[in-house]
Amino acid sequence: MDLLSDLTPLFFFLTIAGTFVGIIFGAIPGMTATMAVAVCLPLTYSLGLINGMALLLGLYVGGISGGLVPAVLLNIPGTPSSITTTFDGYPMAQRGEGERALKLGIAASLFGGMFSLLILYLFAPALADFAIKFSYVEKFLIIFLALTVMAALSGNMLIGIFSGVLGMLISLIGAYDVSDGGNGEYRLMFPFMEYYLDSGFSLLPVLIGLFGLSAILIEAEQGVPEDSSLSKMEISRSTPFRWTDFGGQFINLFRSASIGTFVGLLPGVGGSAASVLSYSQAKTFSKTPEQFGRGNPSGVIASETANNGLTGGALIPLLSLGIPGDSTTAILIGAFTLQGIQVGPLFIGQNVETWNMMIIAMLVANIAMFVIMFYAIRNICKVVTVPKHLLFPVILMMCVVGSYTINYGIMFDVWTLLIFGLVGYLFHRIGLEVAPFIIGFILGPSAEVYFVKSLESYGNLTIFFTKSWIAVVLWLLIMGSIWLSVFVARKARA
Amino acid sequence: MTNYISTAIAGLSLAIGVAAALPAAAQDLPSNLRIVIGSTSTGGDTYQNSSIIADALAAELGINIKVDAVGPAEGFKALGRDSSGSTMMIFHDHAYLGELYGVRGFDNIFEDYRVGPTVSINPGNAYAVPKNSPYQSMDDIFQAAADGTRVRVAIQPGGVSEIGFSAMKNAASVLNPGSEANIVAMNTGSQSDKDQLLFDGQADVINASIQSNEQYTQLPADDQKAMRFVWLTAREATIQGANPEGMGAMTRDDMLKYVSPTTSVTLDGSEDFTFDKEFFFIYNKDMDPALVEAIDTGLAAVFDKGDVQNTLKASFFIPNFLPSAEAQAHLSEKRATYEKVISAIGSE
Repeated sequence: MDLLSDLTPLFFFLTIAGTFVGIIFGAIPGMTATMAVAVCLPLTYSLGLINGMALLLGLYVGGISGGLVPAVLLNIPGTPSSITTTFDGYPMAQRGEGERALKLGIAASLFGGMFSLLILYLFAPALADFAIKFSYVEKFLIIFLALTVMAALSGNMLIGIFSGVLGMLISLIGAYDVSDGGNGEYRLMFPFMEYYLDSGFSLLPVLIGLFGLSAILIEAEQGVPEDSSLSKMEISRSTPFRWTDFGGQFINLFRSASIGTFVGLLPGVGGSAASVLSYSQAKTFSKTPEQFGRGNPSGVIASETANNGLTGGALIPLLSLGIPGDSTTAILIGAFTLQGIQVGPLFIGQNVETWNMMIIAMLVANIAMFVIMFYAIRNICKVVTVPKHLLFPVILMMCVVGSYTINYGIMFDVWTLLIFGLVGYLFHRIGLEVAPFIIGFILGPSAEVYFVKSLESYGNLTIFFTKSWIAVVLWLLIMGSIWLSVFVARKARA
Repeated sequence: MTNYISTAIAGLSLAIGVAAALPAAAQDLPSNLRIVIGSTSTGGDTYQNSSIIADALAAELGINIKVDAVGPAEGFKALGRDSSGSTMMIFHDHAYLGELYGVRGFDNIFEDYRVGPTVSINPGNAYAVPKNSPYQSMDDIFQAAADGTRVRVAIQPGGVSEIGFSAMKNAASVLNPGSEANIVAMNTGSQSDKDQLLFDGQADVINASIQSNEQYTQLPADDQKAMRFVWLTAREATIQGANPEGMGAMTRDDMLKYVSPTTSVTLDGSEDFTFDKEFFFIYNKDMDPALVEAIDTGLAAVFDKGDVQNTLKASFFIPNFLPSAEAQAHLSEKRATYEKVISAIGSE
């Protein structure tokens, strides 16, 4: 009865409104689900725990899902976990299948979200016990596995690896942060840069600089006629979305949702790794891996299923261990703390009502996300009919505002945006690859910390091969991924 | 028309009246105040504490206050740039411990900034062992070190997490000179990283907190995740200030078993080491003293009313308002004590 009394109109309103606002945050380059949840966290004071959670979980699901829209239509990932959506979503949009790509992504997101919610509800404590089997060693190998996708993302494997390693190198600029257990020493920069770069370059400005600003610079170089728009990409009726598009995608959906959920439950590994891993595995097991990156619907499905699969997965360690699975759930802990609720291994048993309401909120949020996005998509697609000379300044403004606000008003983040916009433009001119670069940039810091901490804890390199059966399985996947990259590269050359 | 003018004049008079009723110093404060905090987390104790104080202070002074979780480096930069009083900082003892441990980006806050009032204490800083650990107490740990056993302690270096570890080494050195070499740091990151090292068997002791780890102490001993507290660093008087029900299954009386004098980590052989994690304001060095006074006065009024104490206690914080001058002296004395500990054993 308590459960029914909590299911008030306000609860549903907050969940749906949160989802809607989250979608908007996710769809604006530079604004993320994490930011949406952080902005609304103080509201939980007045709303109470259950209604506050309804709002925050709606924002979380919506924020993760909204990143799909600019990724497909503008080739700008709205959130870091949408990077791999651009690889096939944007080529699909370019050939007139924008609506199809978006609807595939939305439906895949719903599947990923529902799958992870089911896993969360049924297996949370057991999976949390499994998650703690993953020490620094296994986490490093997961990051390593995700990094192997760098080689496969480029037309030229060597250029892809070089770009990725360059991204990793640049991600290590700044201090080896003591908050990660590092020694606090500065690396890879001159003394005059220390004031600005002590924490390194921020991810979001780098991301939207490379994808958003550089694209505008490239277009500007080519010249933008006044009547131009991206409308040819709009809703082509030649290849409309059909539910039968999911025929033959069951394994892809299941595998990607599993990867998303699994990566979500490993604290610290992060949502970007989920979509990258899922994308690389979809490519590895595809009969036509060479079609990935050229508008293959399987790529969009893999990426979007995984990043929404993360939502339920990241709540598993939060609610079963009191350990957040990603940056957004780290803020959700604050909502519990503000209400004086302890989150730890006994949380679910001691707070059954809250637990059930959170599950219901996630369910409602996923359904609301699907309904809002699926049926609004034709209108959303109209953004590409806006003439470029009007659209690009608006995108640029959003990029600047997003960069400035992401870390609560740091001007250097705007400079970072501009610097990496130029870097992206230069990459385009000299033939380097942006996608492997950004994956290296995202995963580099985690790879460093997990590698160094593994050695500090266990003392030698053999531990990476001998630590556990999980490590052996991960090595097999790594070898398979590398083999596939070489195979595809040779096939392409032949 | 006349009615409109009368209403406008009445409204203006009312506004002037209200403004006149405010303390003179409060009028010097900017109407929009930004409080940066030394943490990037909006889920942690620094943000929670700062939000509670900011909300109460904003209501008292009739101004807008926004809390931004920018982290220590960006926080100090923002503070250094703005002497107008529009930007202030709330942080805890890490602000001076970072400097004592030589962490880059941390300056001497007593020389390069102006230390403001303290507001509260988080009494939860703790050290824990696996539930099936052979170490039942801190004495067991010091004895093990004296017997030549290597005791690995998981900490986040350079601040609050490390000061307890330094105190352990210092105590080992006092009790059995040379044994401190057997107490070694496993430098890591967040609380989950420290927990994971314990789960992996890569640490014998971890820096923990009552808030994050209390539920783990309720698990059965055969659970890989089960933990047991061995030391709370807070002063006995601080814990006495907590609500009797404590947190989770751990009552205030339970907590008192893990603090000095019942649990002893000696400072110098005669006195015990204690550490309260205190939250306080930090200002730009050149900020107008009238604004310092305004914040002191505002906070005094907030704490006089008493509501904020209830809010803080409900969130397991101990209210601890000290005006700027007293806070400076108090924190300066703390810093001097910990400087001696750190220089006695050398930081790792």
